[in-house]
Amino acid sequence: MEPISDLRIAVICSSNMNRSMEAHAFLAKKGFLVQSFGTGDKVKLPGSAADKPNIYDFGITYDEIHKDLLSKDKTLYTQNGLLHTLDRNRRIKSHPERFQENKDLFDILITCEERVYDQVLECMENREPVTNSIVHIVNVDIQDNLEEATIGAFLISDLCMMLSKSEDIDNDIDEVLHDFEEKCKRPILHSIAFN
Amino acid sequence: MSTTFFNPEPNDEDLINGWYNNAIMSPQEASNNLRKIQEVLLNKSPNLLPEYLDNILGQFTQSTNGDVKKVLVGFIEEACKYDENLMPKVTLSLLMLLNNENVALQKRVIQSIITLYRRMLIAICKASCVTEEMETAWGQMNEIKSKIIKFIDSDNDGVRTSVVKFLETVVLLQSYPDPNESSKNDFTLEDVPLTLKIARRRKLEEEANTIFDILIKFNGSPHISSANLYICIGSLTHIGKNRPDYIEPVIHALVELTSNFPPTLSMTQVSTVKKKLKTEFISIIKHPAAHDYIEKISPILIDFGLTQNEINKMIPKVDENRKYTK
Repeated sequence: MEPISDLRIAVICSSNMNRSMEAHAFLAKKGFLVQSFGTGDKVKLPGSAADKPNIYDFGITYDEIHKDLLSKDKTLYTQNGLLHTLDRNRRIKSHPERFQENKDLFDILITCEERVYDQVLECMENREPVTNSIVHIVNVDIQDNLEEATIGAFLISDLCMMLSKSEDIDNDIDEVLHDFEEKCKRPILHSIAFN
Repeated sequence: MSTTFFNPEPNDEDLINGWYNNAIMSPQEASNNLRKIQEVLLNKSPNLLPEYLDNILGQFTQSTNGDVKKVLVGFIEEACKYDENLMPKVTLSLLMLLNNENVALQKRVIQSIITLYRRMLIAICKASCVTEEMETAWGQMNEIKSKIIKFIDSDNDGVRTSVVKFLETVVLLQSYPDPNESSKNDFTLEDVPLTLKIARRRKLEEEANTIFDILIKFNGSPHISSANLYICIGSLTHIGKNRPDYIEPVIHALVELTSNFPPTLSMTQVSTVKKKLKTEFISIIKHPAAHDYIEKISPILIDFGLTQNEINKMIPKVDENRKYTK
């Protein structure tokens, strides 16, 4: 399928599990060139209690996490939607990816919370630019639950659609983000780095 | 066996000739064909590069298709990264490509020049003998530089962003390093031989000072976009931390900004800029060269929500500061 736009987009949350993957699925379905990442040190998922999260290393596959949770407590992880999320994720790609370890170049990096935005900025600013092309980093705050992830994916898709209509995003992005901010009623953070 | 005999694999020259002719015959396919040529010339048969370079430059610099020219700029950059000796052969083409009204192409050329300017300055400084060809090319590169500096007043925000990055690069290359820090990758004015006639240290330094002033002026411009202000704050801080001669005007410019944000910024844009300033002031106060300005920076960091105790922990120990005492 011919992509809807030339923009190379990455959606980034903490564990590359819920928010970024919901948006990844949605954007891919719309025909965008999209990848997704997490910025955390580990992949962290809710566990049987608040102080007992499930923690995995980046590199583990969604399938392996699915099997692990299935064996730990099928009822709990079916009820809280994690098994469904993992099942969705493994149809999109094999495993969670850490942004800091990826070397691909993008035009737009969309983060889902301010802490992740800060980590992405830190990573980009510490990298030696290769092509000096401009990459826009945009933060849209999305709470880390299933319902908000769905709403967030719609918002991110709207944003990407608006950006894809511009012939020169480096020149138009202020205007596009201003319109988007009014529409989504959430504060947006935006900065620039170099690829 | 018989299939191989009747349909021999085309060699790389045949392939390149085919793509080259196709690119001329059907301009809409030119970008793709040029990419294929680049792939073979740079990754498979670089020995053919000198043979084809002139024809490729001659043919595609004149193209009426902006996308083809953008691909050509990428090809030139990669070719020069592969073999720095090719740089004198491409500068005139880069100058012609920059002399174009296509904004996307201007931006692409500036982004390439950020890399190539550095490489060319290093190459002429390391050359055992500066040839006439190199001298001509360096003259053309300086012409390119002058044009890029003027683009700081471009109507296009993305062009201005790329110009800021280029200006930062030139200032860093053409100024003296921090005597207390040495980095192997950091080319500075100290690496320019005193005997080099075509690029005199004093002239390069004067130019860096002029360009630094342009950056300071741009940073204080009332109509700067939030994205460019963000980039400019980062560039100035980077210069200040790596070239202590500039730390005072950098701190002064950033302090000025905290009480004088451009009126065109929205509330959230001001938040983004403040967030950037906080990060950069924290990185500056940790730098030994900023020791004399701690009293100026501390109240700003307190306004940004830090406690005096947190600030005190960031300030380097006295011993390290002594090194900077003049």
